[in-house]
Amino acid sequence: MSSPASEARLEPFRLRGANFNLLVLRLLDPRVEVIVPALADQFRRAPGFLRNAPIVLGLDDLDPVAAPDFNDLTAQLRAVQIAPIGTTGGGPELRAAAQAAGLPPLRAAGGETPQPIAQPAPVPIPEPLPPSGWQPTLVVDQAVRAGQRIWAQGGDLVVRGTVNPGAEVIADGNVHVYGTLRGRAIAGGADNLNARIFALNFEPELVSIAGYYAVRDGLGDAPLGRPVQVCLIGESMRFDRLG
Amino acid sequence: MAQVVVVTSGKGGVGKTTSSAAFATGLAQAGKKTVVIDFDVGLRNLDLIMGVERRVVFDIVNVISGEAKLNQALIRDKRVDTLSILPASQTRDKDALTKEGVATIIEELSKDFDFILCDSPAGIEKGAMLALYFADQAVVVTNPEVSSVRDSDRILGVLQSKSKRAEEKKDPVKEHLLVTRYDPARVERGEMLKLEDVQDILRIPLLGVIPESESVLKASNTGNPVILDGESQAGQAYKDAVARFLGEDRPMRFIEAEKRGFFSRLFGGRAA
Ligand SMILES: Nc1ncnc2c1ncn2[C@@H]1O[C@H](COP(=O)(O)OP(=O)(O)O)[C@@H](O)[C@H]1O
Ligand SMILES: [Mg+2]
Repeated sequence: MSSPASEARLEPFRLRGANFNLLVLRLLDPRVEVIVPALADQFRRAPGFLRNAPIVLGLDDLDPVAAPDFNDLTAQLRAVQIAPIGTTGGGPELRAAAQAAGLPPLRAAGGETPQPIAQPAPVPIPEPLPPSGWQPTLVVDQAVRAGQRIWAQGGDLVVRGTVNPGAEVIADGNVHVYGTLRGRAIAGGADNLNARIFALNFEPELVSIAGYYAVRDGLGDAPLGRPVQVCLIGESMRFDRLG
Repeated sequence: MAQVVVVTSGKGGVGKTTSSAAFATGLAQAGKKTVVIDFDVGLRNLDLIMGVERRVVFDIVNVISGEAKLNQALIRDKRVDTLSILPASQTRDKDALTKEGVATIIEELSKDFDFILCDSPAGIEKGAMLALYFADQAVVVTNPEVSSVRDSDRILGVLQSKSKRAEEKKDPVKEHLLVTRYDPARVERGEMLKLEDVQDILRIPLLGVIPESESVLKASNTGNPVILDGESQAGQAYKDAVARFLGEDRPMRFIEAEKRGFFSRLFGGRAA
């Protein structure tokens, strides 16, 4: 099962795909008490949709001096199983207010101002390069552990070890895991619908390609515990056994 | 040079302090000059487990703030004379610990001791970060349950990126897995993770498996590290683990469920 990251016309917010491999929740109203019930309402009609998915808050439509209470918003979103991880757009004041609540500004691929993504527990990775052109494959030799996030910007990612539960591996190109994939794998960041995910042992928490994603409960009859390739066929995610 | 060994886990209540006390005592019994430091400022209890709580005058915070000399704060163990304890403060908060202060203490202790054990508090906040920062080796204490394994995994990531060795790009911290509170019967019933499952995620060398045992609580209530209880399975398992830590090869024990015989079924006997 996969879900297209598009069209939701219900005020006071709009859901829309972005050039991250993530969804953006564009806030049209700064009032937490307005946003959250409306979201909850929408989500009741689309059960399972977005459950536990990472989401980016879009700040462009907010009044630059009327910042929402980001702490409260984060807590309430988490309570309905939506996990905000950062912000996009908005002026410096809004961004700062969000940052203070643990929501760093993210850079949309192809967007204007490059801003580095926060690294919770950094694993040595090369300097992030500007989004122009294709970058060399990033190879990680050790296990990626809970709380760590590795992002191969503008290229492919190869992980030789395991990706453990609670870890996240992201590539604008393909993701290869030559161990067990137990965490999250996100490929095709920059709208690359042809990106694929390969894992020698497929036990993921979540896989995503170009904004389409499947969580563990949505993997259907994917061959878990096997070598698997994940790709997109139209709008649906396909899981093929390798070898 | 002394070896600095952190006993850490991420999660609380998994057996770090119990293991620190057992390891420190075991290393000292093997003739190694050993000091064990309680980093759990505000929630100190290593002194209780070691049975020295009535002898605490000064603590690590007093030393760092210059109110006492290091050798005034060290408590010599009465059972094993190569063992000393540096207690934590009960009344201060974790901010009283500073990196420079801890560095000075560790440097000074390095002159006199073979092993400096650091009993880490839970979490990944300042106290835990300082406890692991100077480590040469880490004993990662893990219970056979999903949340404990996840937190240990997280701590391993921190050791590999935030320790002094990592920052200075030296050889990495040597990691050891110590699985504690292992209950083979519950594992067999599927209520706890199997040893292989824990190892499969964490992928660091297994130092030992300490069975769940009532003798641990008895030992801590009397202030005698359980390793001194040669009758108990937990005590024997800790002895094995310390021997392995010092390079000996010993088979793992107490990892299979006991086949209960007629008499133990009849009398409802339990593992000591
Ligand atoms: N092997 C064991 N069997 C039974 N109880 C144990 C065992 N190890 C630890 N405990 C108990 O678990 C609790 C937490 O142990 P402690 O060493 O204080 O953990 P931590 O320092 O990680 O918070 C204590 O009550 C202790 O007696
Ligand atoms: Mg403790």
